[in-house]
Amino acid sequence: MATTGNKNINAKLVLLGDVGAGKSSLVLRFVKGQFIEFQESTIGAAFFSQTLAVNDATVKFEIWDTAGQERYHSLAPMYYRGAAAAIIVYDITNQASFERAKKWVQELQAQGNPNMVMALAGNKADLLDAKKVEAEEAQAYAQEHGLFFMETSAKTAANVNDVFYEIAKRLPRVQPAQNSSGMVLMDRPAERVASTSCCS
Amino acid sequence: MSEDASSYPPIEPTNFDLIVLGTGLPESVIAAAASANGKTVLHLDPNPFYGSNYTSLSLQDLSSFLISHSAPPPSPPSAPSDGHDFTPAALAARPLFSHVEISSFAPDVLGEEHSRKFNVDLCGPRVLFCADKSIDLILKSGANQYVEFKGVDASFVYNENGKLTSVPDSRAAIFKDKSLGLTEKNQLMRFFKLVQQHLDDKGGEDESGNSRISEQDLESPFVEFLNKMRLPPKIKSIILYAIAMADCDQDNVDVCEDVLKTKDGIDRLALYNSSVGRFPNALGAFMYPIYGHGELPQAFCRRAAVKGCIHVLRMPVIAVLMDKSTGHYKGVRLSSGQDLFSHQLILDPSFIVQLPLASSPPGLGSIKRKVARGICITKSSLRPETSNFLVIYPPRSLFPEQVTSIRALQIGSDLAVCPLGMFVIYFSTLCHDANQGENLLNAAMDSLLTVPESAHPESSTTVHSENSAEEKPTVLWKALYIQELTMGHFESISSTPIPDGNLNYNNILQATLKLFQKMYPLEEVFPETDSPENPEDDHEFSLES
Repeated sequence: MATTGNKNINAKLVLLGDVGAGKSSLVLRFVKGQFIEFQESTIGAAFFSQTLAVNDATVKFEIWDTAGQERYHSLAPMYYRGAAAAIIVYDITNQASFERAKKWVQELQAQGNPNMVMALAGNKADLLDAKKVEAEEAQAYAQEHGLFFMETSAKTAANVNDVFYEIAKRLPRVQPAQNSSGMVLMDRPAERVASTSCCS
Repeated sequence: MSEDASSYPPIEPTNFDLIVLGTGLPESVIAAAASANGKTVLHLDPNPFYGSNYTSLSLQDLSSFLISHSAPPPSPPSAPSDGHDFTPAALAARPLFSHVEISSFAPDVLGEEHSRKFNVDLCGPRVLFCADKSIDLILKSGANQYVEFKGVDASFVYNENGKLTSVPDSRAAIFKDKSLGLTEKNQLMRFFKLVQQHLDDKGGEDESGNSRISEQDLESPFVEFLNKMRLPPKIKSIILYAIAMADCDQDNVDVCEDVLKTKDGIDRLALYNSSVGRFPNALGAFMYPIYGHGELPQAFCRRAAVKGCIHVLRMPVIAVLMDKSTGHYKGVRLSSGQDLFSHQLILDPSFIVQLPLASSPPGLGSIKRKVARGICITKSSLRPETSNFLVIYPPRSLFPEQVTSIRALQIGSDLAVCPLGMFVIYFSTLCHDANQGENLLNAAMDSLLTVPESAHPESSTTVHSENSAEEKPTVLWKALYIQELTMGHFESISSTPIPDGNLNYNNILQATLKLFQKMYPLEEVFPETDSPENPEDDHEFSLES
């Protein structure tokens, strides 16, 4: 859940989409400015944070990647919990990945927070020659289902930052402070009383 | 996504170091620990959700899980032997639950839409002590990044007169307690001081070996030591059952199967004492995970996945493959027909391998104790102004034949386990047979709640009793079930422990870590990693490592 305080917004953002659509590549481009041509399936890194300044607020994204659990449709409810935003990624050269993206949207609408900001990203936009999914079709779908749509390329960086900026702009500025007194346990065993930090 | 496992692509690779079947807390910890040590792990579950016997579910899913896991198992299909160099041994389900009784008294309130908003624990009542070893394990594994906790507000003891007394959990609380006389307060303070000195001596190197409490006292029953300290019965009962969490009547050695020794009693006091105030947001000794206990296995599974473990839900295993010549374990056959191989196999306790050489199923000890669990949903709290708290019914507090302690835990909607304004109350007690367990839990429920006579909403309006001075919350939905108790065991096919009757996970996780160390004697459970991971720092990005 996004929480506000002095125009600082913390927002959990989840990525969804088929294996190979480029979820991790998008995050890597956004967070580190890198692109790796033959990125292996996600193992290892699955949790990033990145701060963005928009006009009226500073948004700190806590970005969750699937950690590969989408491969056999085994994402845990924990993944969706409290997510303020989602990017659903498909590969513009792969019609099946677009069909699967629609299923992920359905899943999100069933599991997620109803006020979630959702983006549909048609990734690999640099591969124009192999394009199978027309932007008009994706745009129409997005409009119908309350998402905003962009074609992106993690390789050329086209529209990558824009997707995140657009989400930051659309995030509700006031969020119900749900579960505000919950705590995340922190590993600082030496100091006793000060060994946790509150999340809010 | 609600898809059939048959639509999954075949699992690749086909050889693993470890295959884990079941996603309960012990299995998930082992999968995470093995993955953190660089083992290749495949983690399977026939269910469409994570958590197995440690999960939290909607009311409908919980009901159907309990019912389907209490039926006598269908005889497993005999897997035909084929031309390979291994023999398939059928994998059978062992029903862990029995005497499942579910009543809905307000189907209108708990309609399908509402029912989905519940995350009800299957292994409740359960809390974590803030100083539990399991907290250290959660921190060390990195699973702490995904779960938030809240402190449990208070604990109470149920008295013979039907009242709840709060448990004084600090010196300040003892002084404030109006029900204690000055002499009692002094006796109690003296007792705590002695225990503290004993613990301080134990912590440092004492060359003399002289602890403040004699060796003889340490080995004798805790209750005798408390008597020797001349503690009043009320205080004794609080210490034994609400702080040391003793399971059975310590004053009745004939029926009590685990008389607590002084040294263990003191360790439990120490755990309680170091739990109080450990975390700034938890005022008492206990905490509870937001969204329920089912979050814990999910968090460990995510740790495992981040380290490369492959997760496949909705994937039953139909047979275990045994080497034809050696008889050793080789792999598993999935319901999809695919054969997968690994060095070791971990099964959650709801599965048993039906080996041709009929060996007795594990866990059939001499004394078969069970745990009776109950769940009630209400629309008002048992205590005004307090939403999340523990209630202990010491032995003999409900009726003279009550030989075990009963524990109850109320959790409210601020912990995201139920719709706004509702409460989930968990009950449990150890028992020898279903009848005994049901009687105990029903008595505990009736003492604080109004359970409608029948499952018809019309009749619930007539239940309001004459003594309406103290209106008890009315139960909207109730479940009662008996669960088997077995601990895990280690062979080339190992079995993980089932949820025990305790409030915390310490015994379960201790058994789990032992199992892990037997499997991988040279590995550290969660090795330290170099890359610091601190989501709170202000670096440009942080990496889950």
